[in-house]
Amino acid sequence: MIELKHLRKQYENATPLKDVNAVINDGDVISVIGPSGTGKSTLIRCINMLERPTGGQILLDGVDITAPKYDLTLARRRMGMVFQSFNLFGHLTVIENLMLAPMDILKKSKQEAYDTGMALLRRVGLAGREFQYPEQLSGGQKQRVAIARTLAMDPDVVLLDEPTSALDPTMVGEVQAVIRDLAQSGKTMMIVTHEMNFARAICNRVFYMDEGGIYEDGTPEQIFDHPKKELTRRFIKKLKVLELNVESRDYDFIGAGAEIDRYCMQNDIPPRTKYRIRLAFEELGQQMLLPLLGKTPIHVTLEYAPTEEQVTVTVAYGGERFDPAEGDNELSYMVLKRAVDDLAFSFDPEREAGNVVRVLIREKA
Amino acid sequence: MKIEKNLNEKNLVVALEGRLDTTTAPQLEEELKNSLAGVTDLIIDLSKLEYISSAGLRVLLSAFKTMRNKGKMKVTNANELVKEVFEVTGFSDFLPIE
Repeated sequence: MIELKHLRKQYENATPLKDVNAVINDGDVISVIGPSGTGKSTLIRCINMLERPTGGQILLDGVDITAPKYDLTLARRRMGMVFQSFNLFGHLTVIENLMLAPMDILKKSKQEAYDTGMALLRRVGLAGREFQYPEQLSGGQKQRVAIARTLAMDPDVVLLDEPTSALDPTMVGEVQAVIRDLAQSGKTMMIVTHEMNFARAICNRVFYMDEGGIYEDGTPEQIFDHPKKELTRRFIKKLKVLELNVESRDYDFIGAGAEIDRYCMQNDIPPRTKYRIRLAFEELGQQMLLPLLGKTPIHVTLEYAPTEEQVTVTVAYGGERFDPAEGDNELSYMVLKRAVDDLAFSFDPEREAGNVVRVLIREKA
Repeated sequence: MKIEKNLNEKNLVVALEGRLDTTTAPQLEEELKNSLAGVTDLIIDLSKLEYISSAGLRVLLSAFKTMRNKGKMKVTNANELVKEVFEVTGFSDFLPIE
């Protein structure tokens, strides 16, 4: 079992990990996902102390491996790492790459190291390549050798840092197949990956990382199908988000319009959809809700889901309950209602911006 | 928005270019207020109009009401997206659109 307690990693200009807390159980296969720069690789590099955490503790079966006098080779023997860029020794043959650490560190005999190495090469489908040098292999083959090399140390925990992202797309499958097999072996695994379908297929747990830590932790079903938290949802649905805050009547509506145009262009949103987004923004922000400005700011969020080909415009504002359908700007309401595919109002008096109008626009060519 | 007026005796053609929205509608309202005296035939040429919202419709509706008593008014050359707004709001039921 690995326990992370208030783990922190700070660099001079960035703090990828602010306060990470988690318990990794024996046999867990954890996919670590999240946007770039959210500390995914930093986290697994910290776990085996390739990066020394700035604060907090890592307990491996109750022993604090961050303690100053702890002998790190003990932890590293139990935790293997697979890198994005393979990191094989170029001057050694494939089998020598696999035999080196078992002989040096585990003090295995040459024969024993060779036999284990050969068995592992067969397991990753590379028997027959043992006397080749890494440069004679394809990227996918190199990564399979790297995985076999990690397994040669018989670690309890295997950490994989984006193992397929440096590969030619045609080779991703063969490496994934090996990792899939490994995931079923009962070893504890943590894999940083951008391949969501793969992550989902092999793991029993997902860490979604954001805002300097594990933002949401759950089963693949929870994270991929029913994410509870906002940033997870946006990431999983690949939502493209634009937020606009209309604060007063002096708000720069022309500038906001230009921003919406730019957002639509960047996301390849067709002209008809863009027109309807602009209508929704104008009819709500500049027409129906205008009398409220000065009393409450109006938060507008555009979310474009490319996979679903639809845009959601959410308009939230404070104050008393105010449903635009019941306002006196009938023409504006009619334009809005007819221009969009769905329009819903809700009010929650408990929330600061309790009035929420949600507009759905489906993409039409 | 650019507004171009062409008066030929009692026939006035107003050509709009750009966006007719909450920001620009007052500009058209002002122009029309000062231009409709003596006009019996009003054509709003929308061939270069990219966008219209309820604010624009409101100005056209007001012009339509003015013209109803003394002549006629029609809207021409609206692009497909603009035409759709006339259609979904029922404006095309009473305002001639060509």
